[in-house]
Amino acid sequence: MVISKKVEFSASHICRSPRLTDAENERVYGPAANPHGHGHNYVVEVGVEGDPDPVTGMILDLKRLKEILDERVLEVYDHRLLNREVSPFDRVVPTAENIAIDIWNRVAPYIGGRARLYSVRVHESGDLSVEYRGEP
Amino acid sequence: MTVRLSRRYEFFASHRLHSASLTDEQNREVYGKCNNLHGHGHNYEVELTVRGEVDPVTGCVVELALLDRLAEEQILAPFRYRNLNEEAPVFRTVVPTTENLGVEIDRRLRAAWERTFAGGEPRLDKVRIRETDRNICEIAQIR
Repeated sequence: MVISKKVEFSASHICRSPRLTDAENERVYGPAANPHGHGHNYVVEVGVEGDPDPVTGMILDLKRLKEILDERVLEVYDHRLLNREVSPFDRVVPTAENIAIDIWNRVAPYIGGRARLYSVRVHESGDLSVEYRGEP
Repeated sequence: MTVRLSRRYEFFASHRLHSASLTDEQNREVYGKCNNLHGHGHNYEVELTVRGEVDPVTGCVVELALLDRLAEEQILAPFRYRNLNEEAPVFRTVVPTTENLGVEIDRRLRAAWERTFAGGEPRLDKVRIRETDRNICEIAQIR
């Protein structure tokens, strides 16, 4: 059984890779390569898998999950320029894919007991989302 | 019979809320985390409402292709994928709050309206701009 929790943050980013030329960056990322940056209201859905505790009926205390997401994700990401202010995006391009992987890495160590992290879905806009399930 | 029609557009942009007329401390107090030095961003949604009579031939209150072209020229092309403070000249001096962004969009649309719609019909009824689900600003002029 999977339970999921949704949080939202607003951030800006620049999609440019230092390993590509300017022309390649423009081609690959289009207008998102603008060096001044642009931004999104990101919606993050975190899925946690497990069997409900027979006494409480819960996989994981949702208050605790909210605390983890507040501390590990929102405190770090909300109202930030990701490239400058959030590690590892000084080295890794902050695409929705890489954001999902980074959020997984930040959250996974804190999910325990009978629960384990199942998925991180990052919605960058209404029509684009990516999902990471921790697969190597 | 007057009918109102609304159409939505979306663009992604970044901004920083900081007023040159306030001290750094006052800026932090007024704008909170939106004052973050490096800025942050949003998926902005703009809803334009026009009002007028339904054309008896087309059954439409507005030719959507014309409205789309106006929105592209006046809203999307200047603001899409932009850092508003650095790349939109008006926001070098005006703080790009949702209110001021709405006022600027309204001003741009009105300045170009008569060129797009002969005789000014339909009328621009209101501009609604949604910064997040919880922050929405509406500009409706009584005229």
